[in-house]
Amino acid sequence: MLSKSQARMFFFGGTIFFSSIFILLTIDTLAKVDERQNVDLLTPSVIRGKEIWDSNNCMGCHTILGEGAYYAPELTQAVSRRGVQWLTIFLRDPAAMFPGQRRMVDYDFTDAQIEDVIAFLDWIGKIDTNGFPPEPDLRPPAAPVVASTATSASRPAYFDEVCVACHAVGGKGGGVGPALDGVAKRFSEEELHRWLADPPSVRPGTAMPNLNLPDSTRTELVRWLRTLE
Amino acid sequence: MKFKSQRVAYLFFATSLLLFTLQIVFGFIMGFAHMGFDVLHDYIPFNAARASHLNLLVVWLLSGFMGATYYIVPEESDREIYSEKLAVVQWAALVIVAVIAIIGFHMNWWEGRKFLEIPRPLDYLVVLDILLFLFNVGMTVWNAKRFTTTVSVLLLGLVSAAFLYLPGMITFESQVLDSYFRWWVVHLWVEGVWELIMGGILAFLLIKLTGVDREVIEKWLYVIVGFTFLSGILGTGHHYYFIGAPEYWLLVGGVFGALEPLAFLGMALYAVTMARRGGMRHPNRIALFWTVGCGVMSFVGAGFLGFAHTLPQVNLWTHGTIVTAMHGHMAFWGAYAMLVLAIISYAMPQMTGRKLFTGWLPEWAFWTSNVGMIGMTGAFAVAGIAQVYMERKIGMDFLAVQEAIEVHFLGLVLAAALLSLGVGMFIWNFIQYGLPNDEAVTGA
Repeated sequence: MLSKSQARMFFFGGTIFFSSIFILLTIDTLAKVDERQNVDLLTPSVIRGKEIWDSNNCMGCHTILGEGAYYAPELTQAVSRRGVQWLTIFLRDPAAMFPGQRRMVDYDFTDAQIEDVIAFLDWIGKIDTNGFPPEPDLRPPAAPVVASTATSASRPAYFDEVCVACHAVGGKGGGVGPALDGVAKRFSEEELHRWLADPPSVRPGTAMPNLNLPDSTRTELVRWLRTLE
Repeated sequence: MKFKSQRVAYLFFATSLLLFTLQIVFGFIMGFAHMGFDVLHDYIPFNAARASHLNLLVVWLLSGFMGATYYIVPEESDREIYSEKLAVVQWAALVIVAVIAIIGFHMNWWEGRKFLEIPRPLDYLVVLDILLFLFNVGMTVWNAKRFTTTVSVLLLGLVSAAFLYLPGMITFESQVLDSYFRWWVVHLWVEGVWELIMGGILAFLLIKLTGVDREVIEKWLYVIVGFTFLSGILGTGHHYYFIGAPEYWLLVGGVFGALEPLAFLGMALYAVTMARRGGMRHPNRIALFWTVGCGVMSFVGAGFLGFAHTLPQVNLWTHGTIVTAMHGHMAFWGAYAMLVLAIISYAMPQMTGRKLFTGWLPEWAFWTSNVGMIGMTGAFAVAGIAQVYMERKIGMDFLAVQEAIEVHFLGLVLAAALLSLGVGMFIWNFIQYGLPNDEAVTGA
């Protein structure tokens, strides 16, 4: 039967052996990790973004690389999922985008800080993570687009980056604001222009924020919305 | 108790229970926020509640370990503590760090790295405090005539834990390396050196409570902590799957992560076998309950539920979801919270001389809190699995999923109320014992 000194040998021997392997693997990891994390893309802006990320304890609600808390969305692929434009608008006023829903602390970020945070998230999204987060493999097939094919070609990119977060067209998009199918039947071109220029002034208390759209983007959006009959 | 200076453990135990209560309060704030009642958002945003919840846990467990050490080391080494005054100073330093940290969190002052949220300047105070503690305990052992295996394993655990705090204080520009070395602290603590501390305290309790020969108990202690490091060190790899570390960690972490339950199975078998061999005859039945319960629940929570999502094929889907919280809650409860409650239950009658071992209050405290924790784990499990399917497998929007699983947080809060009731009874029983007194000193 095992004696006490043999048991002690097992403990110390095993500990030294497995610690050594762990150290060796760590050295190897450090040699390989620069390529996997694209160290050449680790710009000062990304590093500043990480500082903002850490000093506000963003991990206290969000996960990144799957690590953190489970109260707010996983952000590893935030930039590829939402786009820079959407994230910028969201970070300027986090409460405006999803009114009445779970709230994010408003940090009053400057535009430069927002740029850094997004640079950090963008860098995170490019790390080779061995396939995390995985693509949903039980996703139902996408609903066919209802808007006539002739006009959908001119669907503005801005709509897909920002507006779909709240509005659906053809059954695809968010449910915070009304679906926009047939919006052309309900509003004239002029009404849509007035609305998009500053929603709260048209209807005080509306959930839709003033997105400060440049004239060209607004014109492009209205022209396309007018085709949704 | 044998020596007068052992009474200093009371300070640490009382602090433990107070901070534990606070931890539960922050837990409720988060539970309600998940249900859609984030009413304290402007004063205690979720990330402040979360950081407080985690760090209070760490500090109350450390306080419990320190109290346990101050109780165990004199008894095992057959002498008074080197300096009782130093122990009190060191206790005060710990409390000060905890108070500043928790207030700081609410003023947006932190490091923002999960489990290591304490801001850097306070880290140095933690290090100083730990050094004082280790110095005091080390001097006690150094001048002693007796040096038992139990104390050596306990000390090795404490020294390694202090040493492993340091990788968490390095600043990294890369999130990948930041995360890589953060796990040196977090994983190698809870699935490594803390298990030495746990093994040491369990061994002491089993020696005292079962009457089984010390040689037998200490021999198996080596075997169990041997298994801990055999699996736990390379098991760190199960945190390296998806953070940007090389692909071989999927294999290394998968294999050794899967072996980790063995160490906890060892703890469970150890506690149960020794208790049965001793015939469960010790009058302090409650301490025996918590001791054996600790072994069993650590296996269920840390071992079995950890295994449930340690394999990379599973973890790919569950990583970063509420499934992690399911495992985390019962693991910390079983392995460490119950351990601290066990040593408190054993030490209190010894320190106060009030030989009230059983009674409905402490027994109900045991069962109520455990049933509550099992219910909480169930609620987290259902919410977590639902989240994995809806969000990860089907690709539903995050907020839509969160709304769909709100109801499970009602279940969580109800179960947590049961846990709180049990903990409340435990604390009431603790208060009834009164303070340590000199009449309880039996001498060596």
